[in-house]
Amino acid sequence: MEFHVLYRPAHSLAVCNLNPNETIRAEAGAMVSMTRNINVVAAAKNPGEGGLKSLFKGLKRMALGGESFFTNTYTAMNQPGHVTFAPSLTGDMIVHNLQGETLLIQGSSYVAAPDSVTIDTKFQGFKGLFSGESLFFLSASGHGPVLMNAFGAIETIDLNGEMIVDTGHIVAFTSGIKYSVVKATKGLISSFLSGEGLVLRMQGQGRMYVQSRNPSEFGATVGRMLPPREN
Amino acid sequence: MQHQIEFGPAFAWLKVQLAPNETIQAEAGAMVRHTPGLQIDTRLNAGRNAGIGAKIKAFFAAFARKFLGGETMFVNDFHGPQGGEVVLAPGTSGQIMHQVLDGQRKLFIQASAYLASTGSVDTKLRFGGLKSMFGGEGLVLQECTGQGDVWINSYGGISEVPINGTFVVDTGHIVAFEGNNLNFKVRSAGSGGGGFSLKSFLFSGEGLVCEFSGTGRVWIQSRNLNALVSWITPFLR
Repeated sequence: MEFHVLYRPAHSLAVCNLNPNETIRAEAGAMVSMTRNINVVAAAKNPGEGGLKSLFKGLKRMALGGESFFTNTYTAMNQPGHVTFAPSLTGDMIVHNLQGETLLIQGSSYVAAPDSVTIDTKFQGFKGLFSGESLFFLSASGHGPVLMNAFGAIETIDLNGEMIVDTGHIVAFTSGIKYSVVKATKGLISSFLSGEGLVLRMQGQGRMYVQSRNPSEFGATVGRMLPPREN
Repeated sequence: MQHQIEFGPAFAWLKVQLAPNETIQAEAGAMVRHTPGLQIDTRLNAGRNAGIGAKIKAFFAAFARKFLGGETMFVNDFHGPQGGEVVLAPGTSGQIMHQVLDGQRKLFIQASAYLASTGSVDTKLRFGGLKSMFGGEGLVLQECTGQGDVWINSYGGISEVPINGTFVVDTGHIVAFEGNNLNFKVRSAGSGGGGFSLKSFLFSGEGLVCEFSGTGRVWIQSRNLNALVSWITPFLR
């Protein structure tokens, strides 16, 4: 399996080349095109799961992770093949190659990974006090590539120490980095007024991906120009 | 203070390295990340030296900026005893440009284009005339004066146009212009310097334009946020 990303950073498209009988799992709705020999199955997110357990895991992910309920698997039958993926917002995509570590991914940034990567919802997020800020992380662990999307461009930071990051700008980080949710400024009221609300204090050593635009900020900017909803 | 503008023109952000006790002022909500040791002070977006008596006036000024100017009511000052790095980004996709004000220069910027500034740079709300309030195409401007750096964000790429004579720009595509020697008036696109033509205003699809005369530079953005909103609106249910 091999990924490459075209048309970066504004309108990125990820191409996933599969060897015969290799499988990639991806969020429903992300597929753009595929070769004729690709077999698509709507399936559980992790191999070996089935029945009720799988159903509950799926529901949990949808309710908590801001993710789609269904995950599709794409298998290249007997011959090589390829699948292309795109996110809904404009922005970059990036591949993180897992080598046994754990990567925490902001719920809506996860796109695709092979079976050798286990995806789970870590209930470590929060619902913000203000402005509908909320944050949920999926954890990806194992070995293999993980495809993620961002709103805007992506900055890769190798952190060794501490950094404060806005909740709307975090894409993913490795688990060597511990995070805590803190107020942007000293006071509660000024944190609200500052427009920054709650931020993440990232501490430790590891890799971190940050996106150059905040989807909620964009939504708020365009949203207040739209006509009011009728019902 | 050093700064870099990265990821432009599509998704530009501003990265600033602050020396000890240096301050940058940014619009509320623009912070992407910052190093530890930096402090954020939030205050009303209404000038720096408002005294006790001016506090109420400052509140109304900030209120007007939010609801008329599309600006935030509060701004944040970033600073720290050891200095540090702060990254700032606007809400929409687009480019960021940097200008230096020397106390003499006067810059008009489209109201939502303000990202950050340093020194004594201050903004004052200005309207492009009553006509500009038609059809949501309002040209609301801020007059930017003082001494220091100012960073301005756009929706789309930015073209710089030197004007010596007259030039016409759609109001939705204006990012900023130099105000010292440029006059501007807002009119409908079809009225060609004459009176207001209701027919061309309603049917040309161009709405309002800004006609500049004199000498100076104008900066134009390649996309129009009003046009995006008009495009999305029919799809909403």
